[in-house]
Amino acid sequence: MDITAELRKIVGVRLSVSPSELYCYSSDASQVKGTPDYVVRPKSTEEVSRIVKLAYENEIPVTARGAGTGLAGGAVPIRGGIVLDMSGMNRILEIDIDNIQVVVEPGIIQDALNDALIPYGFFFPPNPGSSAMCTIGGMIAYNASGMRCVKYGTTRNYVRDLEVVLADGTVIHTGSKMLKSAAGYDLTQLIIGSEGTLGIVTKAGLKIAPLPKTRKLVIASFENAEIAGQAVVKTFSNGVIPSACEILDRVSLQVLKRYDPKLVLPSEGDVLLFEVDGTENSAREAAEQIIEVCSPLALSIKLAESETEMADIWAARKLVGAAVSRLDPTKTRIYVGEDVGVPIKKIPELLKRAQEISEKFNLPAMKYGHIGDGNLHLALFIDVLNKDEWDRLNQVADLIHRTAIELGGTVSSEHGIGAARAEYMKAQWGPAFEVMRAIKKALDPKGILNPGKLGL
Amino acid sequence: MKTVKNKEKREIKRAKELDKSEISEMKGKNQPFELDRRSVYKCVQCGTCRSFCPVFNVVGWESANTRGRMLIIKSLLEGRPPSEDVLPSLASCTTCGICAAKCPAGVNPPEVVEAARAQLVKCGITTEVQEKLRASVITSGNSFGEAKDLTHWLSETERSQLPEKSDYVYFVGCFDSYRYPEFAEKTFKVLQRFGVTLLPDEQCCASPLLRTGFREYAEKVMKHNLEQIRKVGAHTIITSCAGCYTTLKNNYPEELHVISLPEFLAEHLGELKLKKLDLTVTYHDPCHLGRHNKIYEAPRKVIQAICTLKEMKNIKENSRCCGGGGGVRIGYPDISLELARNRLEDVPECVDYIVTSCPLCVRNLRDAGGDIEVIDIVELVAMAME
Repeated sequence: MDITAELRKIVGVRLSVSPSELYCYSSDASQVKGTPDYVVRPKSTEEVSRIVKLAYENEIPVTARGAGTGLAGGAVPIRGGIVLDMSGMNRILEIDIDNIQVVVEPGIIQDALNDALIPYGFFFPPNPGSSAMCTIGGMIAYNASGMRCVKYGTTRNYVRDLEVVLADGTVIHTGSKMLKSAAGYDLTQLIIGSEGTLGIVTKAGLKIAPLPKTRKLVIASFENAEIAGQAVVKTFSNGVIPSACEILDRVSLQVLKRYDPKLVLPSEGDVLLFEVDGTENSAREAAEQIIEVCSPLALSIKLAESETEMADIWAARKLVGAAVSRLDPTKTRIYVGEDVGVPIKKIPELLKRAQEISEKFNLPAMKYGHIGDGNLHLALFIDVLNKDEWDRLNQVADLIHRTAIELGGTVSSEHGIGAARAEYMKAQWGPAFEVMRAIKKALDPKGILNPGKLGL
Repeated sequence: MKTVKNKEKREIKRAKELDKSEISEMKGKNQPFELDRRSVYKCVQCGTCRSFCPVFNVVGWESANTRGRMLIIKSLLEGRPPSEDVLPSLASCTTCGICAAKCPAGVNPPEVVEAARAQLVKCGITTEVQEKLRASVITSGNSFGEAKDLTHWLSETERSQLPEKSDYVYFVGCFDSYRYPEFAEKTFKVLQRFGVTLLPDEQCCASPLLRTGFREYAEKVMKHNLEQIRKVGAHTIITSCAGCYTTLKNNYPEELHVISLPEFLAEHLGELKLKKLDLTVTYHDPCHLGRHNKIYEAPRKVIQAICTLKEMKNIKENSRCCGGGGGVRIGYPDISLELARNRLEDVPECVDYIVTSCPLCVRNLRDAGGDIEVIDIVELVAMAME
């Protein structure tokens, strides 16, 4: 069968087999590579269904892709086949304030959704650092979260209903606008985080939340990251739940200051950023309590003085991951071992061991991340033209992953497994991994949906 | 139509002959594709640029955004043989530079894309439109292939009265001269009172050649213009075109003192004796004046000396490209005009004019067909001087 001709019948000019185009779809922001044979940009559920059916009948791999901002190769077609670029399906279909929900297509950019919700006084809380470019579909596929998950939870907590195209092209809905249901398996939760291996999301019904009246930011610095970790544990055990709780080690601080010299950040130590939100009174009280609890451990601690100061710090924080080249133009950030997580109590130990591993291999690392939910982004950077540095990088990443599992944590807190972390799935899950395999086999018997991912 | 096509073919043929006889540049498909690797490998493929690239916003394919272009360039550096297949991606960048302004890793994609285009030219991979542009500049000394010289809009008397020597020279540029001679006349009229002269034989500044990768040819016209500048003895070059400005300032082999018309006007506001006009206007930042050279305040100062300024939705560093630069207007007119239409969406309500300070922007924004008249800053100044 002439697959090109068949695909062209479905999507017309929104098909490409140009080698340059295919190359552009052969990677995301990770080191995983794989070139597709076809790229299509569907515009409707019907088109997706027809494409997947065609792929099913001809046993062609199908990999869905949003903005390609992933850090684990989830959207990379490592076995070739068809890439479905879903970013053109980017409409907001319904803003239903009475039910505090929205219905969107998967290609909508997270920030674009929130821009549309501001006039209503609502927002979609999960906010990854890539919110300016990542799609909601990608966030659902990888259960993305971000800085505010410590209070608001992850994408998983906001999805009410999904329209999904299954491996044979069948279209199903996994939920409804109901807040709760006791009718059978929760397929919505099964699809979230499944990385396109069980079905292709074509619509999503999402819960939204009212925008807080105010936000305040406490900036504290500590002698080292380990003490900062202790301060986080202490804050939580004192009953304060910040809306964000981030760590920036001293290397990250240097990078941020190079990125924006005007940023008001401490000049020494490792820094914690605590954001609290709510009403003016509740936010102020929470901020004061954090200052009281952390002061005995901190080198310095203060409240951000203005909205602008706060906004500038958050904007820079979102970009810190890629900004290391500004400190040293010969170094490039490589996203490996960047997303481990451990129970909050184990954070100081994770920070200590990460530092030891980095020193042992003589590979400097930035440590930043959502320390409030135990998620550490270890940012390794190397001279990409130096093979020895690549070797050391991969060894460090491997050890970091194994350390996280050993501490009862996860190899990925919010970026996903994709192909980059597939080898650790068995070690992390044990026999439960076989259940995942069984589910995959039941829903995708021919193995056409994003093959080679999740270690399945 | 047929005659025009024949003329184009003749021009391309002539340029190719010139290529053999006058330029010693080695060309051919077996030439290696070489670039400063670090400038490319700094890109971490995070995709931040994807949200801002105005061409991608219109086209939708990954190859049409900055990250896609960087990936394609990386593949060429890693040994993928260059072919025509890369042109729709690499030739469709307007070099507007919003990606550079937003890139967390500090990559400068317009520089990388222009360098890659130059390598493609070296490998003999060009579009027909590129060749046509090159032919025009080489055969006529201007980007439109016009037979008239760049000061054709002067009267014989004015021409005869031009000072042979001056500290200041007005570099007219192809666009003002051939497409908007009224801008050139008005600009010269304003500048004349400060003793500014013109080059006896100005040629294209080389911007179209540099943006599209013809570096060897660009050097030739730059050399010619430098000789002309020396002949006049000018220490300062004033230009009213954003493309000419950035080229003269940043690409010429010798360091020149170049100032843009808005800067010159802003410096001499007191001497211009401008009257206040009961107008409200908005200002479009040309990419090559704004983001590339950070000239944001001078045009605003001039406008505010004359009338009320109401800003567009995205301004200064965040200004959106009109679609006219980087060879995109000539190579991909549909995409280019779509960009211009998108830019017009940023225009605030209740303004009398859209003012800008680049003739390419004027043309593209005018051609996009909005309701509000687009004018060059010199026209606003001329109104205030009447």
